[in-house]
Amino acid sequence: MSDVVILGIGIHPFGRFDKTFEEIGAEAAAQAIDDAGVTWQDIQTAYLSRMYLPATSGARILRRLGSTDIPICDIEAACASGGVALRQAILAIRSGEIDLALVLGTEKMPRGFMDPSMIYAPWQVAMGLSLNPSYWSMRAKRHMYEHGTSELQIAKVAHKNHRNSVHNPNAMYRKEFSMEKIMESPLVCDPIHLLEICAPNDGAAAVVVASKERAAKLGGRPIQVDACVHTLATYSSDFRCPADSMSATMAPPGPTSATARKAYEIAGIGPQDIDCFEVQDTDAFCEIEIYEDIGLCGLGEGGALIDSGRTEINGDTPVNMSGGLICKGEPVGASHLGQIHEIVSQLRGDSGPRQVSGARTGMAHVLGAGGNCAVTIMSR
Amino acid sequence: MSEDGKDLPKRVAIRDDLLTKPLDDLDKVRLVGSRCRQCGETSLGERGRCPNCGSGDMETRELGTEGTLWTYTVVRNRPPGKYRGPDPFQPFCMGLVELPDGLRVNALVEGDVEEMEIGVPLRLRVFVHHENEAGQEVVGFAFARTDKP
Repeated sequence: MSDVVILGIGIHPFGRFDKTFEEIGAEAAAQAIDDAGVTWQDIQTAYLSRMYLPATSGARILRRLGSTDIPICDIEAACASGGVALRQAILAIRSGEIDLALVLGTEKMPRGFMDPSMIYAPWQVAMGLSLNPSYWSMRAKRHMYEHGTSELQIAKVAHKNHRNSVHNPNAMYRKEFSMEKIMESPLVCDPIHLLEICAPNDGAAAVVVASKERAAKLGGRPIQVDACVHTLATYSSDFRCPADSMSATMAPPGPTSATARKAYEIAGIGPQDIDCFEVQDTDAFCEIEIYEDIGLCGLGEGGALIDSGRTEINGDTPVNMSGGLICKGEPVGASHLGQIHEIVSQLRGDSGPRQVSGARTGMAHVLGAGGNCAVTIMSR
Repeated sequence: MSEDGKDLPKRVAIRDDLLTKPLDDLDKVRLVGSRCRQCGETSLGERGRCPNCGSGDMETRELGTEGTLWTYTVVRNRPPGKYRGPDPFQPFCMGLVELPDGLRVNALVEGDVEEMEIGVPLRLRVFVHHENEAGQEVVGFAFARTDKP
């Protein structure tokens, strides 16, 4: 799928701001359009990725760039929304109907736990079976039981990501914490602590995508999209909100494994060929599980991989150079496009103190409610 | 009495298709499952179609009352939204309970939260979870440890 490129990127920092979602979104969109060296009027179609915003949010945001008849629609697929919106733009370009599109992700969310009625049935909410972190924590407990993964290893992931975030001006939390501080922070859902978990927040990120032919005429610094895949978890491949039960007789590959496998196949490369990764560390344990699922190590070896230091910025498979969701927060609709912003910056060599030396290929991964998973592989 | 003057049942299940009826003697109430005659998978509740293969060839059955804890967590903060558990809030365990019917059910798990362990034996407990706005008893379920009081 090397026929589509990312021509421009834009981001509004992730955090909490006294601004409307329209303001946040329009800033990121305008930045991406400028970066691509085009104008808003040149764009032929636009997609907004969002989960918690009202109807017609895309139109409301993009009107701020000037009134046009450019078709805009909103897309939602939980944490994978950004991947789905990007994929729609790629498909539109590949159809031949258009050759230049804007993909924008924007979110503005309340503090604290997310509103459970968005995802769970009323009976689950009434009984308290409706916290996203409890699902992640149950996976962590089982992994610890089966593979001997330790709380120390989980804390090491948070330690690494907090350390990386210090260099990311777009992250919400930019502070290094000691291992002791992380492990002594309050338990949210055992074994996951407060400093090992991501927070919902506000933010926006955008990309301008073009056909290779159009990009060649426009110049600039295009980054190739080698694969952009979205899948849903198959039955019992994963226990994730809002599931109420799962099979005890079958264990098919989880959504991250299935999506990554498909993306590798389309891109024609494997994990060993990828220089840097941004993944869904909604909590620190998730990152360990994702190491295994995207093939950075074998099943049950995720804990040893964080111990080895190989996923540090200067390691051979750097993961979450941006500080990850733990430090950036998760403005759901903007999250995957924020990861892509990071990878494109890395591949362009623009990442300053968190630059992965000589990075030529990168992967962005998101996974969330309903088993929605998206993986995008890029290269220069 | 409801607003239109009709008698409401005294008790309702927290999710209608999840529990056997009647609800008078809660000790006799069981969880309901659906077994697919095509792929053999058993899922929670009464389902018209199999969530695995999509077949409509389903049979409803009572699920076993004894299971083991496959995984769990301790919920340390009051859940958001319309949570109807104990007030003031008490930290509680929730887990996946593996039943002999070939499925794992997400449920509240009763026992000392600081001493919970994967693999412990559990038994179904059906109880009045809360009272709804209409004054009806809403019947929920949990699994309680059988190896420790």
